[in-house]
Amino acid sequence: MKLALLFVLLLPVCLAKPFHQKGLFDFMLEDEGSADLPPTEDPVISGYGPICPFRCQCHLRVVQCSDLGLDKVPKDLPPDTTLLDLQNNKITEIKEGDFKNLKNLHALILVNNKISKISPAAFAPLKKLERLYLSKNNLKELPENMPKSLQEIRAHENEISKLRKAVFNGLNQVIVLELGTNPLKSSGIENGAFQGMKKLSYIRIADTNITSIPKGLPPSLTELHLDGNKISKIDADSLSGLTNLAKLGLSFNSISSVENGSLNNVPHLRELHLNNNELPRVPGGLGDHKYIQVVYLHNNKIASIGINDFCPLGYNTKKATYSGVSLFSNPVQYWEIQPSAFRCIHERSAVQIGNYK
Amino acid sequence: MKEYVLLLFLALCSAKPLIGPSYFTLKNVMLQDMEDEDEEDEDDNSLFPTTEPLIPFDFFSICPFGCQCYLRVVHCSDLGLTSIPRNIPPDTRMIDLQNNKIREVKENDLQGLTSLYALALNNNKISKIHPKAFLPTKKLRRLYLSHNQLTEIPTNLPTSLAELRIHANKVKKIHKEAFKGMKSLHVLEMSANPLNNDGIEPGAFEGVNIYHIRIAEAKLTSIPKELPSSLLELHLDDNKITTIELEDFNRYKDLQRLGLGNNKIKDVENGSFANIPRVREIHLEKNKLKKVPPGLPNLKYLQVVFLHSNHIAKLGVNDFCPTGGRKKKALYSGISLFNNPVKYWEVQPSTFRCILARNSVQLTNFLK
Repeated sequence: MKLALLFVLLLPVCLAKPFHQKGLFDFMLEDEGSADLPPTEDPVISGYGPICPFRCQCHLRVVQCSDLGLDKVPKDLPPDTTLLDLQNNKITEIKEGDFKNLKNLHALILVNNKISKISPAAFAPLKKLERLYLSKNNLKELPENMPKSLQEIRAHENEISKLRKAVFNGLNQVIVLELGTNPLKSSGIENGAFQGMKKLSYIRIADTNITSIPKGLPPSLTELHLDGNKISKIDADSLSGLTNLAKLGLSFNSISSVENGSLNNVPHLRELHLNNNELPRVPGGLGDHKYIQVVYLHNNKIASIGINDFCPLGYNTKKATYSGVSLFSNPVQYWEIQPSAFRCIHERSAVQIGNYK
Repeated sequence: MKEYVLLLFLALCSAKPLIGPSYFTLKNVMLQDMEDEDEEDEDDNSLFPTTEPLIPFDFFSICPFGCQCYLRVVHCSDLGLTSIPRNIPPDTRMIDLQNNKIREVKENDLQGLTSLYALALNNNKISKIHPKAFLPTKKLRRLYLSHNQLTEIPTNLPTSLAELRIHANKVKKIHKEAFKGMKSLHVLEMSANPLNNDGIEPGAFEGVNIYHIRIAEAKLTSIPKELPSSLLELHLDDNKITTIELEDFNRYKDLQRLGLGNNKIKDVENGSFANIPRVREIHLEKNKLKKVPPGLPNLKYLQVVFLHSNHIAKLGVNDFCPTGGRKKKALYSGISLFNNPVKYWEVQPSTFRCILARNSVQLTNFLK
C-alpha cells in the first residue's frame, strides 16, 4: 500500500520538472527501510499470496532474485513488479507462462544464466517492457515476438550467429542495441535487418566475426561501435544516410582502406576510432569535415602524412576544433611531418605523434 | 538490480503527455542546436578562425567512448574495459560497469563523483580496492561487487551504503571495522564466499541495522550469533551448520524469514524458536532432522515450513498446531514433508488442523 502510494506521489513530482530529478532518488531511498519493516500491529494474515519469492527481495515494485542458483523463473511474482532482476542464476529456459501477469514490468534482467530457449509466447504479457538484458546466456538467436515497447536490448556474449529482419521488425522504440561478443558473421545479418528500428540511436556489434559494416543502418543512429571485428575496408555506401552519426568505433579490425567519400556521408561525426588497423594513410575527407574532433589512428601502417590530411585548404572552415588526434605507433617519423599539417589545431596537446613503444 | 528503478522512474517521467529528455531526444536536441549555428554562418568564411570553438569539446564527448550517458546514468557494461574509464560526467548518479575486465579500483578512479548513488562493478576481476577510492562518493547507496576476486570486505566503504552485494568473491574475513558507521545498510548479500564462523570478527556488525543478510554457500558450521538484531531475513542455506542451539536466535527477535535449507542440521534445541516469535517462514529442507523441530505450534505467524528431504520418521499430532484455547494468527499455507521416511497413512489428520487449505501440506514422495 505504502509503496503504491509513494509511486503515485512520485509521478507528479517528476512530471513537473522533467529536467531536474533532484532529490528523486534520495526520496526513493528513504523508503527503502520502511518498505521492509514489519507491520507494527499484529496482523491476522489469512492468505499467503504472492508476497515475495523466498530469498528474493521485493520492495518498491522491484523484485531482486539474483545470485540464488535458481534453475527456473520463480513463480508467484508480485503482479505489480516493474523490475525483475534474475541475473547470475542457472535458468536454462524461459517458458510460456513465466511472466504471465507481469504487465507492468519495465525491465527484465536475465544476464548470466544458461538460457538457450525462449518460448515464443513468453514475452507476450510484457506490454510495457522497455529494457531486456539477455547478456551472457546461450542464445543462438534473439527471440521473435519481443515486446514492441522495448527501448533497450542487450544480448552480449551469447551464441548468436543470425540476425533476422523479422526479429527486429516493428521494434519502433528501440534506442540501444548491444550484440557484442557473439559468433556472428556478416552473412548472418539479413539485409536491412536493423532498418525497421526507426529510433535506433546506439548499436554495438563488437568482437564478432563480421567482415563489413552492416548495410541499411537506420538514419537515426548516433553511435556505431564495431570494434574487434574482421572488417577490412570501409565502403562509402555503408555509411550513406547516417547524417546523425556522432561516434564511430572501428578500432581493432583489419581495415586497410577507407573509400573516398565515406566521411562525407557522416557530416556530424565527432569521434572516429580507427586505431589498431592496417591503414597505409590518413583517411580522406578529414580536412573538409566540419565537426570531427577526435580521430584515433594509432597502431596503423601510416607511412606519411600529407599537409592537407587533417586541415582544410585555405581558410579554416571547421566548426569544431580537434581535441584528440593520435598517430603514434605508425611508421611515419614525427620529423617528417610538416607542422602546418596541424594548422587548424589550437591545442598542442591534442595531437599525439610520439612513438611510445 | 535495483538501481534500474531510477531508469524506470526516468522512463516513466518521460512518458506522455509530457515528453521528457529520453536518450534519443536529448541527443537530437543537442544536434539540433548545433545545426542551427551551422545554418547561420554557413557562408561566413571569416578571415580569422573564431578564437572560441563553436562547440566546446566537452559538451559532446564527456561520455567515455562506447559508453552511453543519459539522464545522469553512465552505461559501460560489456565493453572489455580493464580499468574504470576517465571522463565520467561529475554529476553521474549511476555507473554500470558490469561484465568488464577491471582488476582494480584505484585511488582516483571515482574522483569528483560526489553525486554517485549506485555503482555496479559485478562480473569483473577486481582484487584490489584502494582504501581511499570511495572517499569522494559520499552519497553512494548501492554497491555491487559480486563475482570478483576480493578476499575481504573492503575497508573504508562509504557509510552511506544501503545495499552491498559481494556474492561469489573470495572473502574469508569480515573485519571488526568493515561496516563501521554504516547506519543505513539494509541489505547485505555475501554468499558464495569461503567464509567460516571464525572469519567474522566480534563486533563486526555493531551499530548497523541490516534487514536482509544472505551468507549462503559458505563454510559456516553454526548460526552466527553476532549479526545485527534488526534482521528480518536471514538466509544461510548451503552451509555446514549441524545444530540449532537455544541461544542462536537470541538477538534476532524480529526475524520473519529464515532460510537454513541444505545444511547438516540434526538437532534443534528446545526453545530455540521461542526467540523468534514473529517468524513467518522457516526453510529447513535438505537437512538431517529426525523429527519436526520443537516449538512450531507457538509461532503464531508461521505460515511456511519446509521440512522435505530430511530423516523424519514420524509426526506427532501436536507438532504443528497449538493445543487448548490458543490460536494461530495466521494459518499454515505451506508445509512440505515429502522425501522423509514418514508414511502418510501413519499421520493423524488432526495434525494439520490449523492449515489454510487442503493443498497446503505436501506429504507424498513425488520423486524427481
